Amino acid sequence: MFLQQIINGLTIGSVYALIALGYTMVYGILQLINFAHGEIYMIGAYMGIIAIGFFVYLGLADISLTLTLILTFIAAMIFTGAYGITLERIAYRPMRNAPRLSILISAIGMSIFLQNYVMLAQGAKDKIFPHDLKIQGGLTIADAHITYIQIMIMLISILMMAGLTYFVKKTKIGMAMRATSQDMRMAGLLGINTDRIIVITFFLGSILAGAAGVMISMYYGIVNFSMGYAAGIKAFTAAVLGGIGNIPGAMLGGILLGLIEALGAGYISSEYKDVFAFAILVIVLIFRPSGLLDERVSEKV
Amino acid sequence: MMANIKKLSLISIWLFGLTFPFVGIANAFYFFIITLFISSIWLLYKAMDIKLPAGIILPPRLKRGLDRKGARITAAAILAIPALLLPFFTDQYITNVAITAVAYIALAIGLNIVVGFAGLLDLGYVAFYAVGAYLFALLSTGAGLSFWAALPLAAIVAAAFGVLLGFPTLRLRGDYLAIVTLGFGEMIRITLNNWDSLTGGPNGILGIAAPSLFGLSLSQPAHYYYLIILLVLFTIFAANRLNNSRIGRAWIAIREDEIAAEAMGINIVKMKLLAFALGASFAGIAGAFFASRMRFVSPESFTFFESVIILSMVILGGMGSIPGVILGAVVLVILPESLRGFQNYRMIIFGSAMVLMMIFRPQGFIGSTRRRLELHPDDEKILQQETESLYDVEKR
Amino acid sequence: MKAFYRFFIFSLALLFLISCAKKEDVIKIGTAGPFTGDQARIGNDMKNGVELAVSEWNTKGGVLGKKIVLLAEDDRHDPKEAVSVANKLVSAGVVGVIGHLNSNCTKPASRIYNEKGIPMITPASTNPEITQQGFNSVFRTCGRDDQQGAGLAKFVIETLKKKKVAVLHDKTTYGQGLSEEFKKAAGDKVQVMIYEGVTQGDQDFKPVLTKVKSTNPDVIFFGGMHTEGGLIIKQAKELGIKAPVIGGDGLYGSTLLEVAGPAAEGSYMAFFTPTAETETGRNFVKNYTAKYGEIETYAPYAYDAANILLEAIAQAKTTDGKKLIEAIRAMKYEGAVGTIEYDAKGDIKKAGYTIYTVKDKKFITYSKSK
Repeated sequence: MFLQQIINGLTIGSVYALIALGYTMVYGILQLINFAHGEIYMIGAYMGIIAIGFFVYLGLADISLTLTLILTFIAAMIFTGAYGITLERIAYRPMRNAPRLSILISAIGMSIFLQNYVMLAQGAKDKIFPHDLKIQGGLTIADAHITYIQIMIMLISILMMAGLTYFVKKTKIGMAMRATSQDMRMAGLLGINTDRIIVITFFLGSILAGAAGVMISMYYGIVNFSMGYAAGIKAFTAAVLGGIGNIPGAMLGGILLGLIEALGAGYISSEYKDVFAFAILVIVLIFRPSGLLDERVSEKV
Repeated sequence: MMANIKKLSLISIWLFGLTFPFVGIANAFYFFIITLFISSIWLLYKAMDIKLPAGIILPPRLKRGLDRKGARITAAAILAIPALLLPFFTDQYITNVAITAVAYIALAIGLNIVVGFAGLLDLGYVAFYAVGAYLFALLSTGAGLSFWAALPLAAIVAAAFGVLLGFPTLRLRGDYLAIVTLGFGEMIRITLNNWDSLTGGPNGILGIAAPSLFGLSLSQPAHYYYLIILLVLFTIFAANRLNNSRIGRAWIAIREDEIAAEAMGINIVKMKLLAFALGASFAGIAGAFFASRMRFVSPESFTFFESVIILSMVILGGMGSIPGVILGAVVLVILPESLRGFQNYRMIIFGSAMVLMMIFRPQGFIGSTRRRLELHPDDEKILQQETESLYDVEKR
Repeated sequence: MKAFYRFFIFSLALLFLISCAKKEDVIKIGTAGPFTGDQARIGNDMKNGVELAVSEWNTKGGVLGKKIVLLAEDDRHDPKEAVSVANKLVSAGVVGVIGHLNSNCTKPASRIYNEKGIPMITPASTNPEITQQGFNSVFRTCGRDDQQGAGLAKFVIETLKKKKVAVLHDKTTYGQGLSEEFKKAAGDKVQVMIYEGVTQGDQDFKPVLTKVKSTNPDVIFFGGMHTEGGLIIKQAKELGIKAPVIGGDGLYGSTLLEVAGPAAEGSYMAFFTPTAETETGRNFVKNYTAKYGEIETYAPYAYDAANILLEAIAQAKTTDGKKLIEAIRAMKYEGAVGTIEYDAKGDIKKAGYTIYTVKDKKFITYSKSK
């Protein structure tokens, strides 16, 4: 049972981590809680189902399932990336110099807007991931079941996190991102196009959330327009748990949160599942007021 | 001109691309046309370079007149008369909406103490509202306590919860505080939903007594209306006195620069806890009123969304400004109600209205006068400093 | 100042117009439920059911020679909004209301309708407390949680002959109420291995199901709605749990089949008299699916509720609330979900449940309990 709970926790934890990265990157640069980020994840999940429906309709799934899945991921990520950029352009860029709390309200307004936009466009019913794709099934390891989708979620998450770390640490744009997060005005003076860096940050955060959305739509098999809210709050909690603005912190926070939830629900009470996450957060913050990995031990982006 | 047209069509094509997988090609095409239309108006507007006035648009003579205290009181009285007579010339529905609006004023004023005055971003304010509501519900159904006896109790217990939340969060700044308060609010709600033996769990508590006055049961909408107006006048009075007191100035000092405030001899711990406690007690009073009016409480009335809406009222109206917060509360209650005719489109319009209002008036409808005096808003540099000093996680 | 006066006069004129507009010669009935937000799906299902009934009456020429106008108001499953909506409907002059959907919205709203003596028929609020408030204007077309819970307990004990039961519920008034009543009715004839709540709207039930699995039950009882139910069925299969899932009317809906997919085979759920067994029911299913697509859960109940209200108006030959309430109480109505008769409290007299099971992606009748 313990092993099974660890598997459950790691699966959902890697998804939280991917979403939390979006929060933490935007926060690192703009000091803004991007409240609409959960909705971007929801849009990613919808796009996954819409895209795979389209490819199945074209008959691509019969030719190569792997190719279909890869194309689905790419399509969903491009779209969520575009939504992220548009979100920044409409709701955040005009308010660059406004009080930060006003931007927060703008973000909340955007979140309400996106949720209802998807509800109107796609209907209030749950959308279902096609059952007849041959991606079901799984392995049994000593009484614990792990499905292929769970394995895929963990692998893709690790790949994406590694990719992001490489991008931020080693590439020129990554370096510019780090500079911008340290001091936006100074970075601007040094010739970095900070507006462009902000756009790239939103794009990266959104495609990670989009990938998380597609994986969740495969894992649970359903999506609905209100799923972004709860996941968004959990992921934000994860980002704060790890130390907001800190990329490894968001990964650690996300996976920890998933494990806490699974073990708490499994061994204590599933009624209080959502309480555990917050309770742990409060305890951590009392002892380490800026998260598990705060800025001093590692650089922030 | 050519550049504008190019920009315009690019925007429209971009939005077409974004929307077509969701709404279908045909609808996305309508969007395309609509965006083309709206963005051309927007470009025209930008080309004309209209400056939005910083304050509410009033004729200069009226504005000068309003600055005199006597005139302000007269203006308030003129506005107050229709408000007081409202239940006599409207139907039950309008009265009910008015009750909701006025009740939210009490909540928004309470949150304004925490967020606007002391600068502590609280995303779980609804927890105290829930505490007040459930306390009265339990006292009324369990002990048969009257509304008037329970009202101070609700305020005191909610204040105690405020201190309870305040203690562990004293060291936290800005967004860390925000997420902990959010978690606190959710924890209270989930506990209310799960503690079946005390709170009835998801069933809630039914059969709460209506308040009574000299043996008269106040159960008509008009009664509730006057009752809440009375309570709100009290909260406005209290908040106003606080704002202009030593305590209020201490809060503002903490908000602007905590370290400097401490160096000036302000007791940060005491002042922060006081802000949480006072803000919470207002919510407790509003909660007790809510329970007595609905005659029923259940956990789904106290969701995070509720906290968000109250916070939006404070920020939309103008943080730190009492008239602003009142206006914000009234607008955010009446706007969704008046949009009911749009049915499913109601919340989408509400969401976009929030974004647009913030883009055009980031300081809220009525910015705090104190802030306007302290920091000249035209001076961009100072404005930026102000932005940075608010809720900054760390001092650079 | 001039602008202000103009605005004032304009508002006065508007008020005047609004008050005049009330004198149209139509009969207004109201419906309220969560039409937006995360329960919009089942809310709109209910609204469509009412709409269908109203449009059918209108094509027949309305009632009492007048056209029927349906006012649908969204309560977003928030009790505060429900009160606001109830006041709005009352102020608009509705003669009867179909709604609300959630028990916690129906509770505070029913008091407002009762004060005005307007009949309210809820198609979906199963909580027993609603009809225990002593309001004579309150009716429902669905059964109560305790009626249904007892039927399901009997089914588990006598038909399935299972001993070890794991009980899960979604921590809502409906889900928890049903599970409580099930546990109460089953008494010591079954062994409850685990009794836990999950969160409605959550999608990850694997942690709690892992716990369920370790207690090794013969059957899993779930009190809740079809989305969560479908996910629980699916995730239980993924964890290798072989015990079938059984639940109440909340599980009966096309969404469950879609969500759970092949995993749904062999699950059991109770539902009212099947729509396929009555003439009205068959016609209803045909017309509804042609107009709105798949039926979720509450559309047939809502359809019957609207028909009962309109039939009462036709029989009483008036829209007076008191007469309507009498007419509804005296009525014996053959509806889409079977025969509906009311007792003194406003509950249906005979809540016969049919147990369904899923076979080949369809709900089929398993056994009937009267």
